[in-house]
Amino acid sequence: MGNPIIRFSHATFGFPGVIALKDITLEIAEGEFIGIIGPNGSGKTTLCKAVLGLMRPLEGSLQIFDCACEELRCHHRARIGYLPQKGRLDQNFPITVLEAVMMGRYGVLGLFRRPAKQDQEIALQALTNVGMQDHRDSALGHLSSGQQQRVLIARALAQQPQVLLLDEPTTGIDITTQHSVLDLVRRLHRDLGLTVLLVTHDINMIRSQVDRLVLLKTRLFAAGAPEAVLKLDILQQVYGKDLVITEKDLIIVEDYHHHR
Amino acid sequence: MVEMLSYDFMQRSLWAAALVGAICSVIGVFVVLRGLAFVGAGTAHAAFAGVTLAYLVGLPPFPLAILFGLATVWVTGVMEEKGQMKLDVSIGILYTATMALAILFIGLMKQYNAEVYGYLFGSVLSVTPEELWGIALLSLLVLGAILLFSKELFFIAFDQEMAEASGVPARGMFYLLLTLIALTVVVSLKIVGAILVFAMILIPASTAYQLTHSLRQMTAYSVLFGVFCATSGVMLSYVWDLPSGPAIVLLATTLFFTSVFLSPKRLRRVVPS
Repeated sequence: MGNPIIRFSHATFGFPGVIALKDITLEIAEGEFIGIIGPNGSGKTTLCKAVLGLMRPLEGSLQIFDCACEELRCHHRARIGYLPQKGRLDQNFPITVLEAVMMGRYGVLGLFRRPAKQDQEIALQALTNVGMQDHRDSALGHLSSGQQQRVLIARALAQQPQVLLLDEPTTGIDITTQHSVLDLVRRLHRDLGLTVLLVTHDINMIRSQVDRLVLLKTRLFAAGAPEAVLKLDILQQVYGKDLVITEKDLIIVEDYHHHR
Repeated sequence: MVEMLSYDFMQRSLWAAALVGAICSVIGVFVVLRGLAFVGAGTAHAAFAGVTLAYLVGLPPFPLAILFGLATVWVTGVMEEKGQMKLDVSIGILYTATMALAILFIGLMKQYNAEVYGYLFGSVLSVTPEELWGIALLSLLVLGAILLFSKELFFIAFDQEMAEASGVPARGMFYLLLTLIALTVVVSLKIVGAILVFAMILIPASTAYQLTHSLRQMTAYSVLFGVFCATSGVMLSYVWDLPSGPAIVLLATTLFFTSVFLSPKRLRRVVPS
């Protein structure tokens, strides 16, 4: 693995009176594929917002690309491709696939610069990378959930990022599409050398894909190779009686499924 | 028709209507997509309060209208950003408070002032050359800013948090958008009036929204409808001796319902995975 590009050092995040993440110490190296797991309200989305520079630590520090997150500028943020949680997208928003992907270039270009032909080529290449090149003129809202996720991943790729941050990319889509989205992310990680941070509830689906798992429950409960993190005693401490492990070693978290 | 266009006041009215139709319909695209519809209504009434104060103390109406409009949108923006209360609640309070101020200022005037009511109901046919220059200057400013920052404004309309995460100065752009809404309202006050200006912002953009799935096309259609309705409304008001504001807005409303009926979005089809 490469050099550390994201460094949490005893970092605590939250709002006045509410601590969402406490005393996090974690290093993420260039080129790693990391899965971030934990129960509802464990601080996964807070971790995403922190990495994006949208939240500052109340205590401790967070360094992103050798820059303290308090000093993170727009051009730093443009190096992180972000796929937000599904469900935020307005299905009736009048935007074509290519227009949505081109938005990935806007932060990179900065103010006052118009997208040029080269930017459109980068956007089209991103669409090709996710297999959506034939839908460039389709309305985004007309696509299926899986196709929309692919387009939004292409939007993140159009930034030509170093880090790809995916918040629940497989939630709310059918099982076949879930596998195809994960295969796509795995391929992008391998072919483009991206550092991938993938937040998910679905432990079974990503356990064989990632280099490391980070298990959160307000604190950093465990971090390491999947086989080291997914131990019965560790999982029971985090998920309690909501946890069921089947004979085929499948991990089912009742809490999550009841809340969906 | 030729006779109508030969009058100076008609030429000024048509130019003013075309400018107002253009800026209202462009800013309307962002208002509709970003879900700021109520902000336009609130700002119109705040700007009207500025106009009434100006007439009460004997100052030019434009600067005070701008001041009241800007103060309203910025306070609204801060309240939303800080999460103290929902946007519609804060604008609702400011909307009624500034309207109360306007009524108070009118009540304090020693005599009836027809010009003040012109700003309430719109009087495009009485636009003076000085007012037309003011409208042209502010329109140029608004359209220039939109042109300069269109990519950022479209992105925050699509998803403000995603825009910020992608390296766009989204917070600054949100305040720029609010400022442009306030300026647009002030520019349009004389033409369509405080009560109806909001319709000019909302209706052409909503009409365009029915007809396309593309941001660029939506903006182009919106401008087309806005300019068409504003200038046609002025002509209709001259020919049939109608009040200009209602003529413009009712024409736009007719076009909106026609577009709802013809909307290709009614034939929406999901592409299989």
